[in-house]
Amino acid sequence: MIDEQMAVFIGSGLRLAVPIIFAATGEMLSERAGVLNLSLDGMMLMSAFTAALASWATGSPLIGVAAGVLVATAVAAAQAVLSVTLRANQLVVGIGFNILALGSTTFLYREIFGPLSRDPIPGFAQLNLPWLAHIPVIGPALANQTGLAYVSILMVVVTWLILKYTSFGLAVRAVGEDPRAADKAGISVARTRYLGVLYAGILAGLGGAFMSVADSNTFTENMTKGAGYLAITAVIFGGWNPWYTLAACLLFGFATALQFLVPALQLDVPVALLLLLPYLLALVAIAGFVGKSRQPSALTIPFERGG
Amino acid sequence: MVMKNPKLAQGTRRKLVPLQVLVPIVSTVIALGIGLLIIAATGASVVEAIEAFWDGMAGSDFNIGASINRAISLALVGLGFIFASRANLTNVGGEGQIAMGGMFATAAALHGAGGLPLGLAFIVPLAVGTVAGAVWGGLAGFLKAARGTNEVISTLLLSFIALPLVYWSVESFHLLRKPISDVSSLPESAEIPDSTKLPLLFPDNGSPLHIGLLIAAIAVVVVWLVLKHSTLGLRLRAVGLNATASRRAGMRTSFYVILAMTVSGGLGGLGGAIMILGQQLYLTSDFSSGYGFDGLVVGLLSRGSAVGVVIGALLFGFLRSGSINMEISAHVPSAVVLICQGLIVIVIAGSAILTNRKVTR
Amino acid sequence: MALLELSGLTKRFGAFTALDDITLLIERGEVHCLLGENGAGKSTLCNLVFGVHRPDAGTMTLGGEPFDPRGPAEALQRGVVMVHQHFSLVPNMTVAENLMLGRASAVLKPQDIIVRMEQLAAEYGLEIDPEARIDELSVGERQRVEIIKCLLGDPQLLVLDEPTAVLQPDEIDALLAICRQVALRGKSVILVTHKLGEISRVADRTTVLRQGRIIATVAMEGADIRSLVRSMVGRDVQSAGSVLAAAVDIEGKTPAKSSSDVGPTSPGEAVLQISDLVYRDPHGVPRLDGLSLTVGTGEIVGIAGVEGNGQTELGLILAGLAAPSAGAIVVGGTQVTGCTPQEITDAGVGIVPEDRHAVACIKELSVAENLYLGAIGKFSRFGLLDKSARRKAAETMMRDFDVRASSPDVSMASLSGGNQQKAVLARELSLDPLVFLLAAQPTRGLDVGAIEAVYNRIRAARDDGLGVLLISSELEELMAVSDRIAVIYRGKLVGELAAGSFSREAIGAMMSGHAHV
Repeated sequence: MIDEQMAVFIGSGLRLAVPIIFAATGEMLSERAGVLNLSLDGMMLMSAFTAALASWATGSPLIGVAAGVLVATAVAAAQAVLSVTLRANQLVVGIGFNILALGSTTFLYREIFGPLSRDPIPGFAQLNLPWLAHIPVIGPALANQTGLAYVSILMVVVTWLILKYTSFGLAVRAVGEDPRAADKAGISVARTRYLGVLYAGILAGLGGAFMSVADSNTFTENMTKGAGYLAITAVIFGGWNPWYTLAACLLFGFATALQFLVPALQLDVPVALLLLLPYLLALVAIAGFVGKSRQPSALTIPFERGG
Repeated sequence: MVMKNPKLAQGTRRKLVPLQVLVPIVSTVIALGIGLLIIAATGASVVEAIEAFWDGMAGSDFNIGASINRAISLALVGLGFIFASRANLTNVGGEGQIAMGGMFATAAALHGAGGLPLGLAFIVPLAVGTVAGAVWGGLAGFLKAARGTNEVISTLLLSFIALPLVYWSVESFHLLRKPISDVSSLPESAEIPDSTKLPLLFPDNGSPLHIGLLIAAIAVVVVWLVLKHSTLGLRLRAVGLNATASRRAGMRTSFYVILAMTVSGGLGGLGGAIMILGQQLYLTSDFSSGYGFDGLVVGLLSRGSAVGVVIGALLFGFLRSGSINMEISAHVPSAVVLICQGLIVIVIAGSAILTNRKVTR
Repeated sequence: MALLELSGLTKRFGAFTALDDITLLIERGEVHCLLGENGAGKSTLCNLVFGVHRPDAGTMTLGGEPFDPRGPAEALQRGVVMVHQHFSLVPNMTVAENLMLGRASAVLKPQDIIVRMEQLAAEYGLEIDPEARIDELSVGERQRVEIIKCLLGDPQLLVLDEPTAVLQPDEIDALLAICRQVALRGKSVILVTHKLGEISRVADRTTVLRQGRIIATVAMEGADIRSLVRSMVGRDVQSAGSVLAAAVDIEGKTPAKSSSDVGPTSPGEAVLQISDLVYRDPHGVPRLDGLSLTVGTGEIVGIAGVEGNGQTELGLILAGLAAPSAGAIVVGGTQVTGCTPQEITDAGVGIVPEDRHAVACIKELSVAENLYLGAIGKFSRFGLLDKSARRKAAETMMRDFDVRASSPDVSMASLSGGNQQKAVLARELSLDPLVFLLAAQPTRGLDVGAIEAVYNRIRAARDDGLGVLLISSELEELMAVSDRIAVIYRGKLVGELAAGSFSREAIGAMMSGHAHV
């Protein structure tokens, strides 16, 4: 009985962590280049909606994911134009996009799905990998995931490799730390930052699409419920390191999943307080009570070439 | 070596002053235009939608009063935003500060304040709500001063923490939830006692406009005076621009950072308390929904001017009322207004490069 | 054929013309010095050649081909490299990572860089640990990394913008030797400096810039140093006296003190007593290591030393911006150890800090606001500002201290460096009470006229009975202004010279830790 509940808890914790892992991993790279995308939540929401719409229209969840990523990347491109080329306040622009995303997805959802909102959307099946299922306790939870969930871990590895072993990664780190020095070394600060933001957009798109076509097979208004903000927090919590960020995402996923486990175990803890747990953890983390890490020096600071 | 030329710097600034006024107006007009196009694209009757919209905004004394009541809370949040931004701090946690203000004002009104003599009966909950918001904002200021925590992230997180707290308070019988009756079992508080409700300005003509309007007006004048003409305003500005130089000049920079965030949060808390005591009259878990971001947008649009806050708050107060009626009467989703708001924020932020040559952080 | 040809280059920043119609040839294999005062346009010229800025008019050719770099990347591609006044290394990365930046293939190959570094070490004697992080290196080592970075790609033209300002004497020698070696290999070097001594040791030809124009280009063989100086500052050497000597650093020529330069022979009672001051930075590294010093009324005590030996930290502690780890500071009988800036000001301490923009003024605020930054409440009623009273008081102060601005209401940023510094001096010297003045690097980045004004103010303060501590990395400045010079080395004073016994050689030896007195 307890085992079964643990398995459900771990399974739902992982499922809840996946979108955050996607978004946080991309965001981490973008922040390493110096651009903070507060619009992450908006990118995810737009992608979740678009993926649901495309999957519903074509019957193919894969096309849904592709469409979702495309739209999120378009939002990222707009964010990049504003925050890199036009040197707008990155935080304000991000909030603007989140409002826009909430408004447009809510509007379109009511216009398009309004009457048939109960219909499930074609989604991905779980893979059920037998060799994983044999691991005790966590095995079934690990094995019963959609392919996209495994892709999220793959993206963490890819991102780590990019940062550590490629010259693009080196450029990203330099641009986020000391754009003037990078510029004088012949690196295009703008190009590097554009690519960083677009990378964040692609991954946020995958995360958003996961929510609608892989996790719940439906779209609901404001379905990200601040997951994008949580992803940004995970990046800070993780000290801009891909593996620590992954750990922070998992922590947030499990903290969120507690709200299902606690009532099941008949513990007398108000669900409301469980809802705020991830944010409280994050606040404690960024207040520096859990070890202090240094953010990229040029984070949120636009670059303008000068003497 | 950076060459600076005083004449040029002044010249461009002077020339661009009208732009600072022009950009918000133009972007608002463009965004509303796009909103109309979207309505037209849905096949709904644009005329009907506009009529419903106008009716909701200003169709009757009641609607005008309701719109202005919304504007009051938005103005207070917006004032809080520009107060913090005077010290170069960005308070994006208006939502949480409203929520805390509203929750504690409800608690004060339900538990004790109702029995106080008439004047005190609503002033005490207002004060309690203000303090609650001030603590919530001040906490972010404290983290900034003591731990160097970025206030944008901390105020956001504090909002995400405040909202479940409100949910918890209206869901728990030992807190603010009203007992389940045969009429209602929703998770919400009981209605506050009549004596704690804000007195109406025009009780005879059915307008819901309450004395919150006077409170907000006083707040506008005080904030304007403090920011533009007081020693405190200058100190806040100095600390925000260059903390080291301010410290050298004898200012306690941590104190001013905490003060700026406390006052900012307090204004948000006051806005939340006024929402409960003036309009909503009982606490629900999502009573603050959207007001925080609307207030933030109002603050951004105003470009630091208290008068700008008033204009922006009225604009959004009326827009919200109109959009609600539009959804009810003309069946056009009110989310259209959210789209417009998002566009306004993006366009204004994007045009900062035109209106302000200085690199913004 | 010349390597680089500039014709009619003009660069404006707004209405300000930084460079005006510059025409110049840089030959292959020559070390070409650019000489000029601060603000003469030297750095701007370098930045045009390196593509950081683009000219408003004029053309460049490189190796006979048109040359119009749209950014450093393009300049680098054409074989133009530059070492900047401010280092352009990413501080939290290793040497190898910095060297790979911008030139590596898709996947990083640290091994290739290490091999190339070994070649350069053999060729020029430039050795450095590729795994060391930049922020762990000394200033001299960082510069070595910059130069290695430049030489990696086998460039045609090496541009060095004021590279010696931050170096110790022996490091300067090594750098100048590298310049010659680079030139010997047929490459060209443009070296920006305002130190004549360096020019006479390394340059083949020198171009003098003043106010954005070329005044003269001369071959160094048989050149008259004095005429160079005259063309650089636009007036005769004699009339400028010690001021000029400090500004341009004519090596080996210690200016004779005029009678007005010499202070009272016996200083009065002590106004500043520092005993056994210790300061450890956040990493635990001792920056001040048992420093003791006394300054009396009516004397100017100079602190000489290579930058980075604790002067900055001493300045911050005296300003109340850093708390000492141990030791005591007494000002006029009042203990101010670890006190707040306000308490230190109240004890009668005026501070002209080393970093004017970060510590002394807020450039976005008006001149009047900056003049009364420490006394915002002075012109107020019920907490509201009385701006007209403040403006009037500011106008008086600006007149008294010759701060030139169109009005007290213009922003501090719109003032020249010299006027900003005069405003800071005005504020600090108007403090009441005032018994002691710290002037840290007070003339850095100022032109000759402003330097003279600053010296006069400091001397006048001394004559009024103030104790003055002058921290400077310009030896000539210290010798011209101080009544007494103490030398700081690795966080403590290693020697002291009384007026009349100043000698470059003795101070220089103590500065590099070679000798004690």
